[in-house]
Amino acid sequence: MKKFHIGFFEHRKIYFAISIGIMLVGLIFNFIYGTQLDIKFTGGAVLRYSYTGTIDQEDVQRIVQQTTDKPVTVTVSKDVKKTGNSAKNNVSLSFAGTESLSLEKQQAVAADLAKEYPNAHFTVVESNSINPVMGRDFLLKCVISIVIAFLLLIIYIALRFKKIGGASAGAMAIIALLHDVLMVYFTFIIFRMPLNDNFIAVVLTILGYSLNDTIIIYDRIRENRRLMGPRTEYSVLVDTSINQTFTRSVYTASCTFLSIATVFVVGAVFGLDTVKTFALPMMVGIVTGCYSSVCIAGPLYVMWQNHKAKQRLENVPAKKSKK
Amino acid sequence: MFFIVAFLILFLTYTALFGIHVQNGDNSTTVIKGAGDIRWGIDIRGGVEATFSPETTQKATKDQLNSAKSIIELRMVKNNITDYEIYTDYNNDRIIVRFPWKNDEKSFDPESAVKELSATALLTFREGGEYTTTETGSDGQPVYKTPKGTTAEKIILQGADVTSAKSEMTQDETTGKSSYLVALELSGDGAKKFAEATERLNGQTISIWMDDVMISAPRVDAVITDGKCTITGNFTAQEASALAAKINAGALPFKLSTTNFSSINPSLGDSSLDAMFLAGCIAFALVSLFMLIVFRLPGLIAVIALMGQVALSFAAVSGYFPFLPSFTLTLPGLAGIILSVGMGVDANIITATRIKEELWAGKTLDGSIQRGDENSFWAIFDGNITVIIVALILMLVFGPTNILSLFFGPSTTGSIYSFGYTLLIGVIGNFLMGVTATRLMTKSISGFQFARNKWLYGGAAQ
Repeated sequence: MKKFHIGFFEHRKIYFAISIGIMLVGLIFNFIYGTQLDIKFTGGAVLRYSYTGTIDQEDVQRIVQQTTDKPVTVTVSKDVKKTGNSAKNNVSLSFAGTESLSLEKQQAVAADLAKEYPNAHFTVVESNSINPVMGRDFLLKCVISIVIAFLLLIIYIALRFKKIGGASAGAMAIIALLHDVLMVYFTFIIFRMPLNDNFIAVVLTILGYSLNDTIIIYDRIRENRRLMGPRTEYSVLVDTSINQTFTRSVYTASCTFLSIATVFVVGAVFGLDTVKTFALPMMVGIVTGCYSSVCIAGPLYVMWQNHKAKQRLENVPAKKSKK
Repeated sequence: MFFIVAFLILFLTYTALFGIHVQNGDNSTTVIKGAGDIRWGIDIRGGVEATFSPETTQKATKDQLNSAKSIIELRMVKNNITDYEIYTDYNNDRIIVRFPWKNDEKSFDPESAVKELSATALLTFREGGEYTTTETGSDGQPVYKTPKGTTAEKIILQGADVTSAKSEMTQDETTGKSSYLVALELSGDGAKKFAEATERLNGQTISIWMDDVMISAPRVDAVITDGKCTITGNFTAQEASALAAKINAGALPFKLSTTNFSSINPSLGDSSLDAMFLAGCIAFALVSLFMLIVFRLPGLIAVIALMGQVALSFAAVSGYFPFLPSFTLTLPGLAGIILSVGMGVDANIITATRIKEELWAGKTLDGSIQRGDENSFWAIFDGNITVIIVALILMLVFGPTNILSLFFGPSTTGSIYSFGYTLLIGVIGNFLMGVTATRLMTKSISGFQFARNKWLYGGAAQ
């Protein structure tokens, strides 16, 4: 059976550099593009129609603006795969501002478009019109639920891993989790996907998943602390534990990654945006979730424990420290 | 033991997927619901979600919202929309409606449908009780539609004539039996018209209509002159308050406006369902292959256990178990199942790797299985409990009634709740299948002579 001997603690600086590097890239993108919030959070309206034949984008924009008195962005995507054999084109209208669009206006838009293009057969594929107050409530709820989840998870780890310094173990696990949340966030930024409820679902999934990874390593540390005795150095203890669980980490990550990648590929083939924008950040999250548990949480925990040990030494009377 | 557990899981899988139907003549009765009976969310099969709010600056009372809700319900039934969900948020004066768009309907015109739902209610009291058509509503009760003859012509009272309607309980003085009735209070003008009508129609029927649907057809027992009347019948408490709410809706002091509106075309929904099904099958096949190649016999057991876990998840949403009501499954809900299956794979991987480690450390087969099971248990336990914590928070925060209700009122979105629910069920299923069933099967099969070879468990070939 294959055994790993990777010096995770020794190479920690490389791992930290990789993570910080990626985050910097994400941050730069964030500065350039800004953060887009989906209309589910901000309020606003997006209508998507399918049609046959050809339409003129600027014409559509003019008509819709006239009907609704609102600036509108028109995006046309051709040959969208649909059920059945008929390939259809899609046109999506996103309205500026955060107000919802009344039903009367929506009907008027459809009617005016049908008048201009009688042969295009406009049909609603998807429509979303969200009130800004409700959008803000929803966003707040999402944020609060993530915060509550974080707090409860810290408490749980602190209780379960008392023997290996519960609170510090919990804190390091949370740093690893924050790392993953940031990575998922930057995935949305870099791929220019607006933050929506998918983002919340992915973040919460990755929280559970990455924490599971970290816990399995901590569990091994707890076990090895018993087996190897309290005199073992933290770096050795943690490295041994991570290496022992490494096979499992890789297997599980690849299995989950494989499944989500399948979902992503199928979603892309069928042209399902909701599925795609869920699966892509999820794939990133699974990789960083595994990476952060192995390469970030473990070494950080060792650094913290070493730091504490050093402080303890310094506090001991001078006689010993002279030696 | 191995065969019993494996058989039970296969049986569960089969019944959870296909259900059990009894053919009785031409009627097929569903004894146990299968995956085909799962109620899919509107994001999967297409449909409409709308939020209505009263168009007033004043806060609506609970009764007013209930009235508005009952009128929306009535109109859904009238439009043959039986599979709807409706929530009322009393704190923020919102009524949220979600309903699927039927595939057989050619024109996809959700705007008109929603507009019709929120239109101002038209309540009428009419002479006689003649109707044109009868349909069966979602509750199995007949729905009488479209007045005809004199009933169509003669309108006695309209919504504005009714000041209030309340359900009340009375007790029969001689028998002591309590019964429920609806007490109406009419405006001055209404009282006059009603007095005239009850005098003329004493002993006959006056029917009460909401829009195009007859909601009640009581008989006139006495001439009513003071504008206070009661409608009796063999009402239960619920029926009486439902009727009162419907009558009140006709007298609502506000209009309903649509503040949120989302719709998804069923054709789009169909293709996402196909896609998710396909993705699920491919992913399951890939994972099974991986487990078989890497872990051999424990891999096979893991695949059986995973099947059981998936079946359990579907069973929990389809209404397979009598104690778990069927649940609307949305795309995030499916994601929850996928994630919990991932946790199940993980549990099996941890145990199988632990057994493998022990084998390579030179232990006997039985000793390795024993130690592997013990060593892996707490890691799996802690990992799964944390996921349960996340799932519970999601359910509590985004549920119909939730811990944040105080601040936000009941849920405005069900999709994340659905994710939490399937995740929770999946993780419980994981404890049952990935932990308990896997261990039972591994221990038991290792007792058979043909399965004593350590190679089968990832050890060196003998």
